[in-house]
Amino acid sequence: MMPSREGARIALAVAAALALGFAVMACVSDQPWAAFRALLTGPLPSIDHTADGRVVVHRLVRFGAWLQDATTLTLVGLAIAIPFRARQFSLGADGQLFMGALAAAAVSLALGDVPAALPLAFLAAAAAAATWGLLPGLLKTRFEANEIVTTLMLNVVAVQIYRLVVGRVLNDPTAGFITTPPLPDAATLAPLIARTTVTAMVLVAPVAVAAALFLLRRTTLGYEIDLAGANPWFAARAGVPVARATMVAFALGGAFAGLAGFHVSNALLKRLPVDLTPGIGLEGIVVALLARGRVGALPLAALGYAYLRVGAQAMERATDVPREVVLVIQALIILFVVSDRLAPLALGLLRRVRASMGRRTA
Amino acid sequence: MTPAIAPPLAIALEDVEKRYPNGTLANSGVSFTVAAGEIHALVGENGAGKSTVMKMLYGLERPTAGILRLHGRRVDFHHPGDAIAAGVGLVAQHLNLVPSLTVAENVVLGHEPRRPGGRLDRTAAAVRVRELVEQSGLAVDPAATVASLPVGVRQRVEILKVLHRGARILLLDEPTAVLTPPETATLFATLRQLADAGRTILVITHKLDEVRALADGVTVLCQGRVTGSARMAALDEGALSRLMVGGDVPAPPVRRATRTHAPPRVVARDLGYVDDDGAVRLRDVGLDVAPGEILGIAGVEGNGQDVLARLLSGAAVPSAGEARLDGRVFTGLSPRAVRAQGVAVVTEDRLHDGAAPTLSIVDNLLATRYTRPPLSRRGLIDRGAARRWAQAVIDGFGVRAAGPHQPMGALSGGNMQKLILAREIADAPAFLIASQPTRGVDIAAASALHARLAALRDQGAAILLISADLDELLALSDRIAVLYRGRIVARFAAGAVDARTLGLHMTGLGPTVDGGDHDAVA
Repeated sequence: MMPSREGARIALAVAAALALGFAVMACVSDQPWAAFRALLTGPLPSIDHTADGRVVVHRLVRFGAWLQDATTLTLVGLAIAIPFRARQFSLGADGQLFMGALAAAAVSLALGDVPAALPLAFLAAAAAAATWGLLPGLLKTRFEANEIVTTLMLNVVAVQIYRLVVGRVLNDPTAGFITTPPLPDAATLAPLIARTTVTAMVLVAPVAVAAALFLLRRTTLGYEIDLAGANPWFAARAGVPVARATMVAFALGGAFAGLAGFHVSNALLKRLPVDLTPGIGLEGIVVALLARGRVGALPLAALGYAYLRVGAQAMERATDVPREVVLVIQALIILFVVSDRLAPLALGLLRRVRASMGRRTA
Repeated sequence: MTPAIAPPLAIALEDVEKRYPNGTLANSGVSFTVAAGEIHALVGENGAGKSTVMKMLYGLERPTAGILRLHGRRVDFHHPGDAIAAGVGLVAQHLNLVPSLTVAENVVLGHEPRRPGGRLDRTAAAVRVRELVEQSGLAVDPAATVASLPVGVRQRVEILKVLHRGARILLLDEPTAVLTPPETATLFATLRQLADAGRTILVITHKLDEVRALADGVTVLCQGRVTGSARMAALDEGALSRLMVGGDVPAPPVRRATRTHAPPRVVARDLGYVDDDGAVRLRDVGLDVAPGEILGIAGVEGNGQDVLARLLSGAAVPSAGEARLDGRVFTGLSPRAVRAQGVAVVTEDRLHDGAAPTLSIVDNLLATRYTRPPLSRRGLIDRGAARRWAQAVIDGFGVRAAGPHQPMGALSGGNMQKLILAREIADAPAFLIASQPTRGVDIAAASALHARLAALRDQGAAILLISADLDELLALSDRIAVLYRGRIVARFAAGAVDARTLGLHMTGLGPTVDGGDHDAVA
């Protein structure tokens, strides 16, 4: 299908899901219009003109939250989409993110306030998470262990290792809660927009996508991953190292989840609490689904999905609509987008109605 | 001129058009008729729209224009259930049977006789199938498990299945593609019997001799249009050939008169293979292939040809024996290492392990050459060079494709096979293993592929040609060996054997004429 048509199809699916979502809101809320407005405009900053002509921008925090969520989601989306090119259903972005964050924090704390801390923490996050991502690849290619099971199990293991290390090894006894000490300034990223946590990582995400695209399209390694995914039997007969390509895909996916971990530890939180909530990695699956597995579409899908997330928080705060309703809308959007035949069906129906009306007037 | 009593028409297509949503015009202005009780052959090249006609008659596709009539009544099928209800049955090219069930259970599957309470009535099913067997003359044991049956018998089960559902019109899509010559003869006799009993049969085929042996009438499709329709009685041999290929049949490649006395390039000794279940799939196979020689391997499918091809191409490790190319052992290595020694392979099932249908033509061509210049340098693929090469292959091999970026799966079998062969011979291999290189490929494409194989042979390559098509083997091979139950049971020099003799040896009926454990060259 042509990209423009695919885009129109997705827009249609999103619009339909929002319309259905509004119907749900109208059922549960006394103020559905206000809630809908909050949902749709929540993440945007509001620009006011004061009496003396100065421009004041409000609600930058939410705008920042949108961009930072989109950054994380793009990176974990890559962690899902790249193994999927090799037809591997990796659900391990969560565990990889935790390992990446932990490695970044550990390296930052160990090095202290030196300029090299930042790049080394960045690399450590990618390397640790890539190694963690390689595990299910090894288990799959050596022992034919189902990657869906192993990645989910390894998520649990990773989160527990994280808690163990933060609680016992990197613990800051003066903090009053279980957490690492604050990371040294040299290792953290400064915000690009005042009053937000939007850092240079917001630029790293599209660069990561571009790098992934280059790797997949232009390198022999990326070609091997594609071929192994498209037809592993053919790839094997043609002499492509299928097992190696599969493992590389897992490790690469892990590396990008590790960057998401670095984003969490060295840009957003600047220290790691023991109760960091897992789950964002699984939302990467949603983003990859929305992008229909296309690496190039990930940033857009992440922006759209993050917009809804932040809008939902705004709506929850401002109105009586619970955020569960937003989960319903998100689920509807995903259902509509991934239902390939739904839109053609609707369009066909439309055409038939129009044709029958045409007949009647004729 | 019109006879007083014209036979009633079972099938009539009137200006049928099928345009797919993506704009592809599969059929346009297709009109032909088939009388009741007639066997009608539908022939044409790959991608000519034959299968689309079948699909429309079976309710899998709906025509975008035109009229379908069955037994004089206009029909509009929305799905196969409508077609089955109207008495149409399809025997697909790929058999759809449950191997673990018995013949009777397979035949009634979906339309089972039931006992009160809804449980399957096995006795009634067996009785019903026995009736069908007697009426149709299709010799099958209803109690046999399908897994234990050879492919020709399985096909009879498919036909029984269709008859069980009350089909008066039978559609068969390349029914002989998987059969041996004796099985084909049996099938034709069965079809004739069914037609004599008043059933109408429409059959797709690629093979001229089959049309001659079987059909009462023939319709030729070319690029979605009917280019000719005739009664067989009114056609002589040349006329039929010209009708089918749109010109005279291209001559088969000329076999070289002089034989080289060079030492063999490929020497295999005592090759054996035992599969994971402990079954011996190949035993004591010895082969010699000289440079500039084509060694043909004949055999009914499943007698070890696939295993032999896998062993020689690095896809499996032999349990015994080894093979050498120019003196170096190349069995037991990885596919990549085998290819690096100059071995190339055209696999038996192009969609399974010969191509990646979802990827583009470029990406499919790259598969065996992407690691080296000029297509890649230091791990970076030169997409421009790859695209230019793909375009050159498309032009040079006469592939009908929209362009290098078209998905492989959108091409017809013949075009796909041309691209696969182009890829495999691109690096001038020393040894080519070609398994079923022209299966399901139209005549024009097959002769183009044969010409390429002959050209490669003339360059000094050793070629192992594994084929179920005996005409192909006889036309191309310099020598032919017959595999039966994993052993070589007979060897012949080209010209010293005919299809009938090969057929006997292929089914284990011939006397063993294997002189020793390997060939004598020259």
